Amino acid sequence: MSLQDIKIGDAETMGPGVATGRLKLADYPDGSPMATPVIIVTGEKPGKTLWLHGCVHGNEYCGTFIIHELLRSLDPAELSGRVVALPALNITAFNKNQRLSPFEGYGGGDMNRCFPGVEGGPLTSQFAFAVYTEMKKHADLFVDFHTAMTPDVNWALYAAYGGETGKVSRVLAKAWGYRDTLATPTDMLVGSAFMTAASDGIPSMIVEAGGKGPAFTRETVEDGAERLRNVMRAAGLLDGDVTDYGPIADFDRFEWVSAPRGGLFQPMVKCGDSIEVGTRLGRFYDIYGDDDGFAESPRKGIVLAIHPGPIMTNGETLVHIGLNPKENIL
Amino acid sequence: MRTIEVGTAVSDEAGRVRGKLDIGALPDGTPVEIPVEIVRGAEDGPVLWLHGCVHGNEYCGTYIIHELMRSLKPEALKGTVVALPVLNLTAFLKNQRMSPFEQFGGGDLNRCFPGRADGSVTEQIAHAIYTPLKKYATHLVDFHTAFTPDTRWMLYSAPGGEVSDKAETMARAFGYRDTLPSPPDLLVGSAITTAAQDGIPTLIVEAGGIGPAFEMSTVEDAGGRLQNVMRALGMLEGEVTEYGPFNYFTTFAWCCATTAGLFERTVSCGDTVTKGQTIGRYYDLYGKPNGEATAPESGVVLAIHAGALMARGETLIHIGLNPREA
Repeated sequence: MSLQDIKIGDAETMGPGVATGRLKLADYPDGSPMATPVIIVTGEKPGKTLWLHGCVHGNEYCGTFIIHELLRSLDPAELSGRVVALPALNITAFNKNQRLSPFEGYGGGDMNRCFPGVEGGPLTSQFAFAVYTEMKKHADLFVDFHTAMTPDVNWALYAAYGGETGKVSRVLAKAWGYRDTLATPTDMLVGSAFMTAASDGIPSMIVEAGGKGPAFTRETVEDGAERLRNVMRAAGLLDGDVTDYGPIADFDRFEWVSAPRGGLFQPMVKCGDSIEVGTRLGRFYDIYGDDDGFAESPRKGIVLAIHPGPIMTNGETLVHIGLNPKENIL
Repeated sequence: MRTIEVGTAVSDEAGRVRGKLDIGALPDGTPVEIPVEIVRGAEDGPVLWLHGCVHGNEYCGTYIIHELMRSLKPEALKGTVVALPVLNLTAFLKNQRMSPFEQFGGGDLNRCFPGRADGSVTEQIAHAIYTPLKKYATHLVDFHTAFTPDTRWMLYSAPGGEVSDKAETMARAFGYRDTLPSPPDLLVGSAITTAAQDGIPTLIVEAGGIGPAFEMSTVEDAGGRLQNVMRALGMLEGEVTEYGPFNYFTTFAWCCATTAGLFERTVSCGDTVTKGQTIGRYYDLYGKPNGEATAPESGVVLAIHAGALMARGETLIHIGLNPREA
């Protein structure tokens, strides 16, 4: 019993092996297609379909590199099931090294709030619709790759739905094995691909690895690909023992803290650091270079992301904090 | 003691003064004012002019200038330091190289000197800055970055004669190994080339990468090197640290990418490369290796594209040519 052939955009499988092509998301004004790359690796043995996204936010290239690193390592002869990868999802933003599509007009530009998408909606909702229509049809499991601001970012989120979907989502997150992991409640990140997919019964997680643009290392890419293989072992797509990376935190919430002031800024904490209320997160300088006070944490928790500096405007994301770990992980 | 007046910063005695220099105006009438700090010693001496962020997102230079200025004490200083740590303010605020208000080109501030009073947005910025610079400065150090945190080289103005000699003294005191004696036909319209034509010895320091891509250790190290320049100029007491040996280049090559794709560099700044040597790897959108980028010239890597993506025509590598030990 082998896997049925599928076609996503013009990527069409013909039995086991690798198929590549493009999925059209929209049109440019000159008529050329905004088309995102699709890679389908079909195993010789039957099994689940793992769906992968990178660059839903266009400048989060570390995810693209992790997905590519994984794909290069896969051998259809050793694969039970199928991997469908869209490594440069928000392709027009990807090309411009920015988070949102430069062609989005009136807002709603965060693609990871636009799922499941609207067929006749704003541009980014149309992107989401084109992607999600295929994803819902084919995906059994879903991993979505993101970055934050600095190279040391390493945390994860899984969809904490009740029942089998939530249970399997946690298995994926545990196999990925980043300590700092959020059990994402169903009212959070509404419109994201992973929560939307989970609401449709597809076990899902997000990996946050590295920083935006070029702010990531090859080490993170290679480590990420190995963790992804571990997720595939845990899900039965690859043979072999599942590595235990240790306990995961199961945060019940996070808080995005916006900067209450502007200035020149240098961070004083790293991703993964434990912080208390009042912990100094960074140092401000004025435009003449004088010390100008500190940014302090409003919460106790773990640093998930920290502003890299060197300049800060009011309202930028100062720090992202994981709250209330279920296990005493430290 | 001669009064030094840069915008609202007016220095006529030993001590520290601050003010703002008006370089433009927003459509709503708000002036674009850049910070100026002047630290002056009791005894007359050189007027060392420092500026950073002529390219708005080259923040490492701002931090280096701040680091130095915090360390200065007027009582221990001979002469004057005039610091403009944030030249291209509207670009600085937007984390981009050029002013977002520039329209029809000519947006590279470091090609617009000496500027024009009635020129484009950026030419007017250059004019506002260059007028007091020419009037007061006896020496200029201009701070830049390239792409990656490991960037570390410098250029000094070499039009010949005394200006070259004095500029070389500054360069050797700053002490980065990789150094270009910059001929007068290179970088025309830059602050260093323009000021050198007006008889002011000048130095560009290239330290760190754009945006947040720099280390505080680079900032602290460069602050110390700048103090060494001041010792060499007799502005601070103390032994001048001797750096060297140096690599002096005859010129550089800015090489543009002829391939597009995902890109990972395989060389670092300061590496010696030979023509044809692999300097990075390309991948296509599907993750398939798509060839290697090779060095189009032999020399020393001054700057290399940080990745992760390359469009055709982006600066792939910047190579110092014909290094000779000096």
